[in-house]
Amino acid sequence: MGFGDLKSAAGLRVLNDFLADKSYIEGYVPSQADIAVFEAIAGPPPAELFHALRWYNHIKSYEKQKASLPGVKKALGKYGPADVEDTTGAATDSKDDDDIDLFGSDDEEESEEAKKLREERLAQYESKKSKKPAVVAKSSILLDVKPWDDETDMAKLEECVRSIQADGLVWGSSKLVPVGYGIKKLQIQCVVEDDKVGTDMLEERITAFEDYVQSMDVAAFNKI
Amino acid sequence: MAAAVRGAEELELLERLLGLPGGNKYGVQGERKVPVLQTNNGPGLRGLMTIAAHLVRQARKDQLLGSTAEEKAVVQQWLEYRVTRVNGGSSKEDTRTILKDLNMHLEDKVYLAGNIFTLADILMYYGLHHIMVDLTVQEKEKYLNVSRWFNHIQHYPGVRQHLSDVVFVKNRLYTNAH
Repeated sequence: MGFGDLKSAAGLRVLNDFLADKSYIEGYVPSQADIAVFEAIAGPPPAELFHALRWYNHIKSYEKQKASLPGVKKALGKYGPADVEDTTGAATDSKDDDDIDLFGSDDEEESEEAKKLREERLAQYESKKSKKPAVVAKSSILLDVKPWDDETDMAKLEECVRSIQADGLVWGSSKLVPVGYGIKKLQIQCVVEDDKVGTDMLEERITAFEDYVQSMDVAAFNKI
Repeated sequence: MAAAVRGAEELELLERLLGLPGGNKYGVQGERKVPVLQTNNGPGLRGLMTIAAHLVRQARKDQLLGSTAEEKAVVQQWLEYRVTRVNGGSSKEDTRTILKDLNMHLEDKVYLAGNIFTLADILMYYGLHHIMVDLTVQEKEKYLNVSRWFNHIQHYPGVRQHLSDVVFVKNRLYTNAH
């Protein structure tokens, strides 16, 4: 989860779309979630991003009572749409970092804040680290697996096929399609990452179940 | 078409929301079924807005009528809109105009009066409930700002009560639709 880089126009657009049908980042009351995101963005969003701007102005009206709003602040990566990562860089936080009060009067609060900041940054770093490369070439493959005869146990056959596991291979839905004389073939969908799984490998592994599988064809192959 | 929350029923909902003990007797008057509240002293109160404002003061929740002069004016304006337009209009055309007006108004606001929850939100919610229940998914999306506001208000503690929860889908069908 996240909004991408909230300091960039793209990140703000994600925030804008996210807030189109919501009044708050989380739930139906202002919370620390709103404050966390509010503090992460540089200033009022531009007027054309009116959902984000409406939210910004609304949260701004809670500025005085922001400490008393419910919830616990989490890393930015914990909010927002599920399919976007948080990339609001650590460098952008340096603004807070810079204003070290040389004549600091209340040290305790300062260190408390520094600790929070460090934790926040660690969480950010973790979420960034776990991020996968942006583009992974994937294909959706439809396989036809044919049994020996009408006495082949199709359930067992499907079980065998699904037992094949590999990195970058995900099995999808399947169905039995009659071919004639009571014989059915198994049609099964799978999604593979092109770099990791090839059809040759799939064929090899599936036809290895000789007791059940007579042959296997690729019925359809689509790049995603 | 779902039955509209009208007059006495609406005021009873408001009473419960405000945490008043209840026990007020409401009647209706005239062809347009204007709600009437008989009080112990004086001639009684007539009209939705009047009675609602009276209840709010009785509950000592004056902030629901707006804090600043501007807010007070906006609350008043939307209450008037509610009584004259939402109650007055019943044709498809009227409904469309109301939703369009509200959609535009709510584009840059979280509540009708801006940043605070007021009586205008409560009564507009009760007034629009029967309309929102009947909207199609596509219409809810077309009036996205109204939908967001409505969904927000119906989740506001104590507002919805026994009224049905109107479902808003999270996945938007058409992007770029405002």
